[in-house]
Amino acid sequence: MGLNIDIQGLKFTYDAHPVLDGTEFVVQRGDLVAMLGANGAGKSTLLRCISRILKPTGGHILLDGSELQQLNSKEAARLMAVVPQETAADFDFTVEEIVMMGRFPYLKRFQKEEQQDRDIVKRSMEMTGVSHLAARSIAALSGGEKQRVIMARAVCQQPEVLILDEPTANLDIGYQSMLLELAARLNRDYGVTVIAAIHDINLAVHHFNRFILLSGGRVLATGRAEEVITAENIQMSYGVPASTYRHPLHGVLQVSVARGHPRGDCNNDGRTIHVIGGGEEALPTLELLNQKCCRLSVGPVSAQDSSCRFAHFNGFPVIIVPPFTTMSSENREEHLKLMRSAEAVVIPPIPFGEGNLPVVAEVGTVLKEGKAVYIIDLEGVKSRDYSGKAFPLLQNLVGEGAVALKNFGELPKVLFPDGGEEDERKG
Amino acid sequence: MGTEAKKTGFAGIKKPLFMVALIALLFFSLITAMIWGAVAIDWRSIFTILFDALPVYDSPAIADINPVYGDILLQIRLPRVLLAAAVGSSLAVAGAVFQGLFRNPMADPYVIGISSGAALGAVFAMLGGFSLTLGGFGAVPLFAFAGGLTTMIIVYSMARVGRAVPVMTLLLAGIAVSAFLSALVSLLTYFAGERLHMVVFWMMGGLGGATWRQVTVMVPYALAGYLCVSFFSRELNAMLLGEETASHLGVNTEKVKKILLVGASLLVAAAVSTSGIIGFVGLVVPHFVRLVAGPDHRFLIPASALLGASMLIATDTLARIVIAPSELPVGIITALIGAPLFIYLLKKRRKLRYFGGGG
Repeated sequence: MGLNIDIQGLKFTYDAHPVLDGTEFVVQRGDLVAMLGANGAGKSTLLRCISRILKPTGGHILLDGSELQQLNSKEAARLMAVVPQETAADFDFTVEEIVMMGRFPYLKRFQKEEQQDRDIVKRSMEMTGVSHLAARSIAALSGGEKQRVIMARAVCQQPEVLILDEPTANLDIGYQSMLLELAARLNRDYGVTVIAAIHDINLAVHHFNRFILLSGGRVLATGRAEEVITAENIQMSYGVPASTYRHPLHGVLQVSVARGHPRGDCNNDGRTIHVIGGGEEALPTLELLNQKCCRLSVGPVSAQDSSCRFAHFNGFPVIIVPPFTTMSSENREEHLKLMRSAEAVVIPPIPFGEGNLPVVAEVGTVLKEGKAVYIIDLEGVKSRDYSGKAFPLLQNLVGEGAVALKNFGELPKVLFPDGGEEDERKG
Repeated sequence: MGTEAKKTGFAGIKKPLFMVALIALLFFSLITAMIWGAVAIDWRSIFTILFDALPVYDSPAIADINPVYGDILLQIRLPRVLLAAAVGSSLAVAGAVFQGLFRNPMADPYVIGISSGAALGAVFAMLGGFSLTLGGFGAVPLFAFAGGLTTMIIVYSMARVGRAVPVMTLLLAGIAVSAFLSALVSLLTYFAGERLHMVVFWMMGGLGGATWRQVTVMVPYALAGYLCVSFFSRELNAMLLGEETASHLGVNTEKVKKILLVGASLLVAAAVSTSGIIGFVGLVVPHFVRLVAGPDHRFLIPASALLGASMLIATDTLARIVIAPSELPVGIITALIGAPLFIYLLKKRRKLRYFGGGG
């Protein structure tokens, strides 16, 4: 089962504008490939060439070594099924009738559907979970249901190759996963070669194991996620700065696109704020201050910490300590230096362990020197204090002049009272 | 669950039931059309005359029947009824095909301008007063037929982009060509002088003066076109989901489009050249069948053929009897009855759900 697809020097020109410009790659039998690339990179055009809707202006598409164009329509439809982004389904065909259309390439002109065909229809509907819709009109279904019916029809074609062109673009996250998981299952259980154009890289990474990144009608990179989805490649193909990271829940490679500062709200240039510690708990605070255009510094954190990635991503100075160690005296010096050079120090709602206590003590040092210190959600510390000593220490800091805030949203008000008033006047 | 099962059970026999009803309706309209007329002939006599006319059977009862009845029935009513059946079913089938092919509920047999082309040919022949005859046909039907087919070829080649013919372009080209030809028809009509009456009558459509000669040409024609179209019903179903989808399912869309277009155009050209421009049958009949039985062309096409035949027989009978012994052009009756019926259906079903409009 499954077919090799060999794309050689494929060209397609639309109104003298080259959409595909010598595209070359090989999809191996049984591959599960996601095709990535910006709008206009040629994903859809390429898939439409493979599914024979468009005729390439140059190059070759070989299916197991033989030229695709040599096949007749029915032969091609027995090898290849397509699930498009959307199917016009305004007609009162029942779901079963739509799925049965998948048998078309197997039926001769005057041949009636036989029991065998009906069995395949039934199995396809069971597999895609649309059996209960069999007698319903396709026009009355939701987008997600409709797409599963189209998938059932594709399954019914018993193809060697399944082509999906942005199949999840109009679906909610539940149906997105369900549909791609179905494609993955066809690949796994029946060896069907799957090629899918997918916009959402982070979604694609979950379900596919090979990637082809297109850019300007050519293949920019191909291979495993780690080889294809890199910050450089994303920048080159999509034209936006991006960074990659491991998903905190399951470690799958993910992409995040950098956001610019919102214009007009950036009269805080040059305000320097130091944010203590890390973890995801510090991220909302960091992001808020970043949006307000503060120059931040972060620390101390470990290299794998999300706040550390945040700092790197945005080019902010950060104190990195090796995991499971206490700070070296070098680190301490540096940390003190960063705090002293900042206008204010913020302690976000992070958990406190023994290792954090020296840091809290150092905050006390700069507080005594006259630095403004803000502690977010002091009351909440009780439940996050794994050392049992941080809460009283922080209370002491408040006694010495640190400001306790309920949540990070109050920060801008106290940090930039002028900016805040200005905002209100504008509003 | 119980209701679901019942529904499926009913859906299973709905189509056969509907088909039986349509056949019964056709039979009923055939007989009624032969009974009614300027001279009423009772149904016993009709059966006697018909059976007697069969070469294998001589009816003893024929002696009791006025021989004029026999002539009226066999030479006037029977060919007329059969011609109405052939024309009606041709128009309905062509309408169904064009609606499916263009995925457009407003399409009818005349949408790509075949009628305008035929009208131009016919008007040209009438004003020219040609005495040409071919195979028993006068100049008017011959010119109309030629005009219709020429128009189809012009529209098709205008819409062609490379080797493909996008249906949208085809539709637009058809509308444009149709408008142009209609203007020419109006221009000629303006100068028609004393022949104006003839021209206007032809354009309203009618089956008056139907002959066996017309029947023997039109019926095989209708059958051939019907078969040609119905061979591709399954392809037409797939085409309803869009050409790309059809192509993904293994339909050679360009070939199918060409065959269906030629088949349907031949049906229309033949119908128009024998009976003028009879409106509404081709638009309404396929819609009615879809409302009852869904969009599957394997059912839609035969059912439309039956219903189209019945509808034109019935309306033509009305055309003969409402102001008997004189008669109305049947096109007037089809529109007078078809339009309100169609609006009623629209209102009742709110919208033609099987045809776009966001479900």
